[in-house]
Amino acid sequence: MIVTKSDVSACIIDDDPIYVYGFKKLIKLRGLHSQITSFSNGSQAITWLKNPFNIPNLPDVIFLDVNMPGMDGWEFLQEFAEIKSQLGKKISIYMLSSSINLNDVYRAKNNVDVVDYIFKPISGHQLTELLGMMQETEETKIQKYKS
Amino acid sequence: MSFSEGHKFSEDSKQHLAQIIDNINAGIWEYNINTKETKWSSGFYNVLGYMFGDIECSNHVFFEHLLYHQDKPTFLSALNNNQYNPSNSVQIRLLTKTAGYQWFESTIKRYNDESGQVIYGSIISIHQYKQAELQAAHNDRVYSEAISIAKFGSWELDARNMDLWLSKQLYDIFELQNQVKLSLDEAISFFEPNYRATIQGAVNNAITYCQPYELELKLRTAKNNLIWVRVKGIPIIDDFGKCVTVRGILQDIDHSKRKTLTLESSLNLLTDQNRRLQNFAYIVSHNLRSHTGNLQFMVSLHEQTETPEERTEIFGHIKSISDSLNATIEHLNEIVKIQTEITNERKLIDIEKLFNNIQLALKSNIEALNAHIEHDFSKCQHINYIPAYMESILQNLLTNSLKYAHPDRSPEIKCYTLKERNHIYMIFEDNGIGIDLERYGDKIFGMYKTFHQNPDAKGIGLFITRNQIEALGGTIKVESTVNIGTKFTIKLV
Repeated sequence: MIVTKSDVSACIIDDDPIYVYGFKKLIKLRGLHSQITSFSNGSQAITWLKNPFNIPNLPDVIFLDVNMPGMDGWEFLQEFAEIKSQLGKKISIYMLSSSINLNDVYRAKNNVDVVDYIFKPISGHQLTELLGMMQETEETKIQKYKS
Repeated sequence: MSFSEGHKFSEDSKQHLAQIIDNINAGIWEYNINTKETKWSSGFYNVLGYMFGDIECSNHVFFEHLLYHQDKPTFLSALNNNQYNPSNSVQIRLLTKTAGYQWFESTIKRYNDESGQVIYGSIISIHQYKQAELQAAHNDRVYSEAISIAKFGSWELDARNMDLWLSKQLYDIFELQNQVKLSLDEAISFFEPNYRATIQGAVNNAITYCQPYELELKLRTAKNNLIWVRVKGIPIIDDFGKCVTVRGILQDIDHSKRKTLTLESSLNLLTDQNRRLQNFAYIVSHNLRSHTGNLQFMVSLHEQTETPEERTEIFGHIKSISDSLNATIEHLNEIVKIQTEITNERKLIDIEKLFNNIQLALKSNIEALNAHIEHDFSKCQHINYIPAYMESILQNLLTNSLKYAHPDRSPEIKCYTLKERNHIYMIFEDNGIGIDLERYGDKIFGMYKTFHQNPDAKGIGLFITRNQIEALGGTIKVESTVNIGTKFTIKLV
């Protein structure tokens, strides 16, 4: 059976333009060929997710920063929990932060929508692993569908 | 007719009488002043626990051996006074054979016979009674001393006729000279107005629902001293479960209460400072980490890229990280400076002059926005403050008002001072875009908290302003409505 590696679409929500730039660059460098959408705060992302025209382009994974002006990471998660059922797609959320405040870590671990809490900066290795994992899940889906 | 008068006793009767005297539980003594002859009945020996012959019967033995030295003056003066007071009696301590000194009461009488003047009397043991009396007096003294040391008084309220009884100590606490009778309402009126409803309610509950109470209240004494007191009341019920009396105490706890309050407030201050310090540590670690993380990230990307264009691009980012890192370090410096500058001398500041200087410095900004700035420092023109702080506070607030001006109207900014009680307040108002406090609350004074997508916003100004104000013991509060404006109320001192 020939398995075609499907592309994983990722979304990054972070107010730090340098980080977003680096993130995109890293994905490109690693040859991960993902589509990347980026937002500089939570409310922009929510508005975009809510727009029905964007349904075909919904990401598989969201990398979410904790501290942002306007709507921060936590507020985004609240809003996300309200709209997720209407999205028709399971989206994995990884929180990204330079905060090593343990309260933030626990809070993230206790949120059902958050898969993991990653300390910034994310390494190339970590990213490859993560996105690789996403691709595998996509493959399993395809396999299941075929069988 | 008395027993001794008008009777001539026969020798037999005399013998009989002597026997009776010897057998009663009292001692009889007799002393002839002229002949110095001393006589003690066997009862005398008995009550003192001696056998006849144990001690020599003499005036000398009585005074020097039996009578307690401190009681000598009492006894002697009783002897001398006796002419005017025939039924004189005196309480003295005598040395018993086995039980040490014990209390006795002696009567003292005198008569004259042919050989001269004779003094006589009877002694009975009053030791147990005297002991009890002394113990009772001691207990009373200890009790009243304890009460006065503990500074409490007791009271009783008759639930049927609302008659109030107060102990003497309670009048002392109220600093009332004479113990005038007080009604319940009059007693309650000694409490500070905002505590009256509390105590009235507690008394009512005690009477109606038999609920005991314990309250700490502020009381103004008759001499106008304000003190903290603890009032405890316990309802006493009858056989039918109805409250008939409320009994309780009132204690002056001013000293300890004031200590507790100071302790509480310094504890709050410490907790607050500690929380801020921890927050500060997190912020420092977060901000420094995010910059160093980015730096690491960019350097690693720089290593992985090959095209010179990409490398230049990445290097540009590295430069901007370096700038941000520097800015963050400078912010931290400013915060640390607040703590070091606090020891700087406070100076009398002319607020208006300083405010005008700051306006001058921001002139181009003010003119560009066509801002209208009003000030009125007539209520308090001068303040003793650290000049650097005052300048920073005014500048920060003014800059903020200009920065967050409403796009549809020119800024109207008002700044004025107020004096209230012992505090000086500064009010700062604008008609800017305002902030949703329900959503952000006190976060606006947090470090690196920005709420509007304003590229100038660094999230450091109000954090520093609050720290400067609080470092000198003041407070800052904010009221704001989105699209209407913002008002800061600062208690400076």
